[in-house]
Amino acid sequence: MTSLVDEPAGPPRAGAISPAAPVGFGFSRRFALRVPQLAFGTVVWAVLALLLIVPILFFLVMAFSPRLLGQGRSWFTLGSFRQVFTGFFAHSLVDSLWLSVTCALLAVAIALALAWGVQRTDMPGKRVWPLAVWSLLLMPSFLVAEGWEYLLQPHGVLNQFGIPSAWAYGIFFGPVGVVFVDTMAIVPFCYMAVSVSLANLGSEFEDAARVHGGGRWRTARVVVPILAPAIMSALAIGFAETISDFGVAATLAASANFPVATYSLFDAVNNLPANFGAAAAISWILVATAAIPIALQARALRGRSYAVLSGRTRQPSRRRLTTRGKVLAAGGASLLFLLALGAPILGAAFASLLKNFGVSFSASAFTLANYRLVFDGTAGLAGPLEYSSILGVVTATIVAALGLVVARMMTARGVGAVGKLIDLVLIGSVALPGIVLGAGYIFAFNLPIANRLGVALYGTTTLLAMGYVATSLPSQARLMVGPVSQLQESLLHAARVHGAGGAGAWARSALPVLSRLLLWAWLLTFAKTLLEYPVSSLLYPPGSTPVAVAINNFVGTSAHYGEATAMSVLAMLEMFGVIAIGLAAFRLLAPRGWQRIGGFIDV
Amino acid sequence: MPHRSPGPLSPPGRRTLPAVVALVAAIGLVAAGCGSTKSSSGSGGAASGSSSAATSGGSAGSSTSKPVPLVLYAAEGYDAAEGAAFQKATGIPTTVDDNSTGPLTTKIEAEGRNPHWDLFWVDGATVFAGLDQLHLLLKGWEPSATSNYNAVGASLVPADKSYIPTGVTMAAALVYNTKLVKNPPTAWAQLTESQWKGAVGMNDPSVSGPTYPYVAGIMQQLGGVPQGEAFFQKLKANGLHIYQTNTNTLQALETGVIKLATVQSSAGIGAGFGNKDIKVEYLKYETVLPSCLGISAYVSKQAQAEAKRFVEFVLSPAGQRVMQSGDPHGDSLFFPLVNGESPLPAVGTPLADIPTQNLNPYVWGPRENSLNSWFTSHIIQ
Repeated sequence: MTSLVDEPAGPPRAGAISPAAPVGFGFSRRFALRVPQLAFGTVVWAVLALLLIVPILFFLVMAFSPRLLGQGRSWFTLGSFRQVFTGFFAHSLVDSLWLSVTCALLAVAIALALAWGVQRTDMPGKRVWPLAVWSLLLMPSFLVAEGWEYLLQPHGVLNQFGIPSAWAYGIFFGPVGVVFVDTMAIVPFCYMAVSVSLANLGSEFEDAARVHGGGRWRTARVVVPILAPAIMSALAIGFAETISDFGVAATLAASANFPVATYSLFDAVNNLPANFGAAAAISWILVATAAIPIALQARALRGRSYAVLSGRTRQPSRRRLTTRGKVLAAGGASLLFLLALGAPILGAAFASLLKNFGVSFSASAFTLANYRLVFDGTAGLAGPLEYSSILGVVTATIVAALGLVVARMMTARGVGAVGKLIDLVLIGSVALPGIVLGAGYIFAFNLPIANRLGVALYGTTTLLAMGYVATSLPSQARLMVGPVSQLQESLLHAARVHGAGGAGAWARSALPVLSRLLLWAWLLTFAKTLLEYPVSSLLYPPGSTPVAVAINNFVGTSAHYGEATAMSVLAMLEMFGVIAIGLAAFRLLAPRGWQRIGGFIDV
Repeated sequence: MPHRSPGPLSPPGRRTLPAVVALVAAIGLVAAGCGSTKSSSGSGGAASGSSSAATSGGSAGSSTSKPVPLVLYAAEGYDAAEGAAFQKATGIPTTVDDNSTGPLTTKIEAEGRNPHWDLFWVDGATVFAGLDQLHLLLKGWEPSATSNYNAVGASLVPADKSYIPTGVTMAAALVYNTKLVKNPPTAWAQLTESQWKGAVGMNDPSVSGPTYPYVAGIMQQLGGVPQGEAFFQKLKANGLHIYQTNTNTLQALETGVIKLATVQSSAGIGAGFGNKDIKVEYLKYETVLPSCLGISAYVSKQAQAEAKRFVEFVLSPAGQRVMQSGDPHGDSLFFPLVNGESPLPAVGTPLADIPTQNLNPYVWGPRENSLNSWFTSHIIQ
């Protein structure tokens, strides 16, 4: 069955009609033809350098030379590395490693099972589960952890309704809870990677295997290797996302005295004087560990093509489950999402609706007072919500467009080393927690030379937006790599042959196929930006507070605690509202053809 | 099996050109950055006016004309109110960046000698001692009000005048419910007695900022770190409960899980607004936790002059009223340091009647991380 996934055979090879590879021209002519391409590539690299590479290098360089940035006495030292391989730091690194491996494997298993159930069987609620998966992705992990805390804490919501929760608190506030919340936080990334490939696979490969006499096992042996890029990608991104997670590390893991690497990095920065050297050394280790699965992924996929997405891709048929199968599938999925999503949302909702919750135990009556205070209270939390919403829209638009460009650069034929280099930059950035990016941005963009040149970006909304783009771009671009790599070049060439220009060919052939991908990238980035905390807390311009900073400031004070809980719920409602509107608008406004093909996800 | 494709159509080296161009540019930027940082760090701590353009908007020197906008990094409940009142009183545009102490300190350190703040206002002298040792604070100036400070206030002014104490709370006050506890302990040592087994709660010093001064203060008054560690181990053996923050510890008190809470005095007094049975006692010795203001060493002379006016305003009768009205159930419940000023009525006990001690922030500040780690591994786990 190998021919089914081969490159289109025959002489009219893609490269042959490409203007990029003319034969027999002089050097100057060939160079002139390559100029636009080189210029474009240079611009993209310059943007990546400005957004990611330079700020991160500024931070990382302090592992060796803290004095270079005026943060220590040594011009060159390896002392920071010695420090992080002993005691508390080493302990946290070991914790992070096993935690990330465990979570990535669990999440890929859950994602594969769920994607298969939703897309290839008649499992009940197949429209609900993808939405639930996306809802998971929208929930910042710190809100999930906080929601559980509201529910289970010694005088929390359950306790107030007379349900004993002490035993669950003991279990949940430890490694078990950390593994659970972290796994569920990366299930969406894994689901996105595998489900897109599964959806775009079409049923022709399975059908062909079956037609040629292959049983289930043989069919799986045909189909699973085609999904290999997606599974590898899911494992790599799952690992990198877990090892770089700060939301759970700072809440659940920290309060359960389960130190992980990102928290010890935060601790090193938060120390006074800040131990930027140790923080940078931990960052190097995080980047190195995240690079391992990427290297393995690249090695496994070397020299192979997985292009299966074309204009001819057909909708797969669904397997019929038995009644018992349906009950088991739907029951399992319900329980999973109830624990991962329902419980923390209910926890936060009840906490915001109970009078005096968190301030006094006499929290028994329901009230909407907290919500009224959000809009007319002294704390003024409505402004931050508006500010973060605008930034969310701007960031999401830039990330969707730039992510596609970067993914396309990585997957274009013959990119070889460049593709790997971009991949390394992206995965390295995914592996680093926001606080590294935030501090790196201050070092890089607050240099006296920047002021002298008249580009004083630090302390402006522009720099905060750049930080947000840098936060979301790596994971979104990497997620786009799967679907973009499945786009057959012949689709573009067909458009070119029929007379479309370069951009026109993209707009008319590739854009419809990738439209849902772009929509989701936009929605996910919006959601992530709306409640982003670490970068916000270091880069926001004084006087314009992002919503996550506002919530965090007020959750620590008894006077505004209730408003903060209401604010969390409102921000969540806004996220889900925007997603719902986005999806509805796509369904109503996008051409039918866009909705039928290249299905990013079946909702 | 997927098919192995023929080699790429163009050698990879060619497409790496844009990457190389961009990276060379990036490295150039890094090198330029390093050069400039090097030169500014080489100039020593005295060069305060040189790198101030960013904050002062380049108008340094025109002190008689337009005021430069002031930026206040702060983590006090009343900071925004104070900023607004100062702007109204003086016409100097004042922006308040209200955030937690942690991110603010990180920003200040990362900004280094190119600061975007003029004033810094948070609880805890140890933070300021740390910034002072990094030479980031203006030294040698004190407001006129400090000559009229009470004994506690005068004892908190640092020798090099690198920061200004503006008010104090106690770390930690003993908070209890009068319905459940008729005879509260009168000395710290009593907390380890069997009578209070399983009845005492406190915050985790790694999570709750004002708890470290309490832990350090106990160690200081018992004669040193080993004696203090022994005290907390006895407390643990007596069933000590540890919660994350004031809010959680006070919840435990209200629900009767614990009978005695040791939390920052303003939080304990604040809890009394919701429940009239909650009372606060001060034991011998209470460790003083000052809120302090510091001025940046690296902003323009004009910005520093305006920052000094801000400090004077805060300590004036009008400024003290704002401190006491900005967060009436929280940070406003402090003890004033200026003679003639009284705390809010809810605070009750006068400062002079409380047996207090000071922590030397230059000694206890550097120990904070190691002592918190010890606490986590020996008392919490």
